[in-house]
Amino acid sequence: MDMNEIKEIFFQECEEQLAELESGLLKMNDGDRDPETVNAVFRAVHSIKGGAGAFGLDDLVSFAHVFETTLDCVRSNKLEPNQDVLKVMLKSADVLADLSNAARDGGSVDEARSRQLIRELEALANGEMPAASEPPVAKAAPAPKASAPAPAAPAPAVPATSEDGFQPIPFSFDDFDGEERPVEPYVPTCEVLFVPKRDLYAKGNEATLLLRDLSRLGEMSIRCDMDKLPLLQDMNPEEAYFSWKISIATDKGEDGVRTVFEFAEWDCDLEVRTIEDEPEAVAGDDEQPMQPVPFDLSILDDASDVPAEDEPAVFEQPVAPAAAVEVASNVVKLAEVPKVEARAALAASPAASQAAANAAASTAAAPTIRVDLDRVDRLINLVGELVINQAMLSQSVIENDNNGVSSINMGLEELQQLTREIQDSVMAIRAQPVKPVFQRMSRIVREIADATGKSVRLITEGENTEVDKTVIDKLAEPLTHMIRNAVDHGLESPEKREAAGKNPEGTVRLTAKHRSGRIVIELADDGGGINREKVRQKAIDNDLIAADANLSDEEIDNLIFHAGFSTADKISDISGRGVGMDVVKRSIQALGGRITISSKPGQGSVFTMSLPLTLAVLDGMVVTVAGQTLVVPLTAIVETLQPEASAIHSFGASQRLISIRNSFCPLVDVGRILNFRGTQANPVEGVALLVESEGGGQRALMVDAIQGQRQVVIKSLEANYTHVPGIAAATILGDGRVALILDVDAVVAASRGQPLKQEMSLAATG
Amino acid sequence: MASRKAAQKSMSLAPVLDLNEATALRDKLMALKGSDLTIDASAVERVGTLCAQVLMAGAKTWEADKRNYTFAKASEPFVKTMQLIGVDIEHLLAKETQQ
Repeated sequence: MDMNEIKEIFFQECEEQLAELESGLLKMNDGDRDPETVNAVFRAVHSIKGGAGAFGLDDLVSFAHVFETTLDCVRSNKLEPNQDVLKVMLKSADVLADLSNAARDGGSVDEARSRQLIRELEALANGEMPAASEPPVAKAAPAPKASAPAPAAPAPAVPATSEDGFQPIPFSFDDFDGEERPVEPYVPTCEVLFVPKRDLYAKGNEATLLLRDLSRLGEMSIRCDMDKLPLLQDMNPEEAYFSWKISIATDKGEDGVRTVFEFAEWDCDLEVRTIEDEPEAVAGDDEQPMQPVPFDLSILDDASDVPAEDEPAVFEQPVAPAAAVEVASNVVKLAEVPKVEARAALAASPAASQAAANAAASTAAAPTIRVDLDRVDRLINLVGELVINQAMLSQSVIENDNNGVSSINMGLEELQQLTREIQDSVMAIRAQPVKPVFQRMSRIVREIADATGKSVRLITEGENTEVDKTVIDKLAEPLTHMIRNAVDHGLESPEKREAAGKNPEGTVRLTAKHRSGRIVIELADDGGGINREKVRQKAIDNDLIAADANLSDEEIDNLIFHAGFSTADKISDISGRGVGMDVVKRSIQALGGRITISSKPGQGSVFTMSLPLTLAVLDGMVVTVAGQTLVVPLTAIVETLQPEASAIHSFGASQRLISIRNSFCPLVDVGRILNFRGTQANPVEGVALLVESEGGGQRALMVDAIQGQRQVVIKSLEANYTHVPGIAAATILGDGRVALILDVDAVVAASRGQPLKQEMSLAATG
Repeated sequence: MASRKAAQKSMSLAPVLDLNEATALRDKLMALKGSDLTIDASAVERVGTLCAQVLMAGAKTWEADKRNYTFAKASEPFVKTMQLIGVDIEHLLAKETQQ
């Protein structure tokens, strides 16, 4: 595995950490004060920093460092994570994601924004800390930074020493009395209380190595507290009995000290504080004097070149080359972090190693592997071919075996069962929760809320609903568009909302759920709803409808999906170049989905998208229409019936209704709608499929005959040919012929004689 | 005197005293309990905290038993590691190994 592959793994890890970070921050934003949530957030940033350090991603490291410092203040209860604080943190999470993306794909980052946030984070860490109870976090806590210039804000002088191979940027928490004090000539002394827990050793960490690294930071005195050490017969050899009190004179500050313990700090109690007085005062209590640590410990370096200290059976302890000690401290930590054999490939990234350590620690998480998506896709394609092949085989056996009970036939049925199971299992590999997309939306909402000066709360529900990865990938863009629209156009300004007696903070609710074999995603806002008068006027102005057209509310609402339609008075950067909702509709349709809108004036709008769970296979009913074989998605069909002449009623010039259990349902001749035939067929000679369209209405689709029910492999028409109105996709049947898959909703919409030109074109081209 | 002589035991420490060694080291020491003990630490290349704990628990136990517990020889890595972790073994070192 070369470096790039390892780096790629780091970025994948990074993505996961970023998701973890964001969801943790959002939880905190909702009032979650569980220390474990704060810890999880901290760990995420910390791991990103660690990994980025290993790859020399300096911008990422320096930003993560400042972020982490502020988070540490929250973790240690020095900073109350109120809404304002979390706002900055959420923005910082966005910038961290940008930096990570930039490092991965070479894009650029808004440096001004990132600098601004660094200042805000520093201010938070600075301002909110109680001056009396705690000494400054660090006189000088240098954040490594190589390329980008230092923040513009004047910063107090710090030692210009290069640390860990990075150039330091001036970064200080200042003095809490607000006065700028010159840096004292003496080196500040840190007092460290280090109490390891049993786990520290169990995970392969070693206190001697930590103390050795600590001793490299400066002149160190140490006292080992052995009070807890029992007699030999009472002791557990793997228990941690020793603890240490250390005094170290270092210009690295508390942060520098903490860095040494960074991968062990979950497994020990660590207190670090800077002693403002003369160092002698530190040891001047009534306890035993501290023992100075010899400056030259080089002999112990040699020792660390031979394999692994304290090596538990399952762990392999990587060797720390002596030279590495002088490089990034993050890299040094690698020597202390255990790595799990199974994930040995990840070992070059400390973040990964940390994750591995965490994984080793918690047995709760099910084991997972990362697989290249291409490989899964290849497998899916092959299974698709297998299904087709199996269907072809079945067909030819049926054709050659009239009695249908031969052993071949029975074997084939088993094969069919197996194929089906394989297919389901393969599909399950691709199924992913919609959570990542939903999480991305929360960022969009934040940004637009900021840009528009609106206050918005995004509520997401059902984010663990699973759907095929392709659907998820393609969902992000239309959803982004819709969210932008909802915030920009849907929600009113806080003043207007207050005037209307609403909460000045608008709510956007994003929900995902499974409904009859499809995933339904709802986006609801509690804004002003669609201004139908305005939409109607705009449509008339744009020559989309006649001035005297009589449109229902639903039809007016649907006008916003028309190409070139935008009602925004002002064209903003956020939304409204008139390419919004029609693009959304087309993207959703391209996914085999549909979108509907319902709006209540003054109460808001709800957009409902219904999408197939997978784009690969479909359970369909194979039917014949005007000599053509079509497939109707099974999920759309409510029931099938053989119409009787007495149940058919004419309505108007060409409409027909069918009476089903005392209610009337429009009868739609599929062959006529698709222009397969010029005149309507006789309903009594065909079969009616009662379907439910997304709008909720029922229609009876008339076809000539039903061939059977079959699982078909979906082949995209768009990708292989072009979009055909009324047709969702195509498939290959058992006999090798191509059959078209019906787009039920488009057919239903066309049967309503939708006034939109876009929809009318269906009949024209169909 | 003869019985006193018979109670004098000695043991040599392994070069690597890591986590895996801690339990074994304790067992070895337990087997020698009740006798004066001379420990040879001259071969030690690395010593981890857990083994250091066992050795110091041994010292404490021997002291409670009023028996001698001495490091006859000690390698430099052994001595330096003990210094590094703030464990004072000077009083346990045999006179000739002290500098």
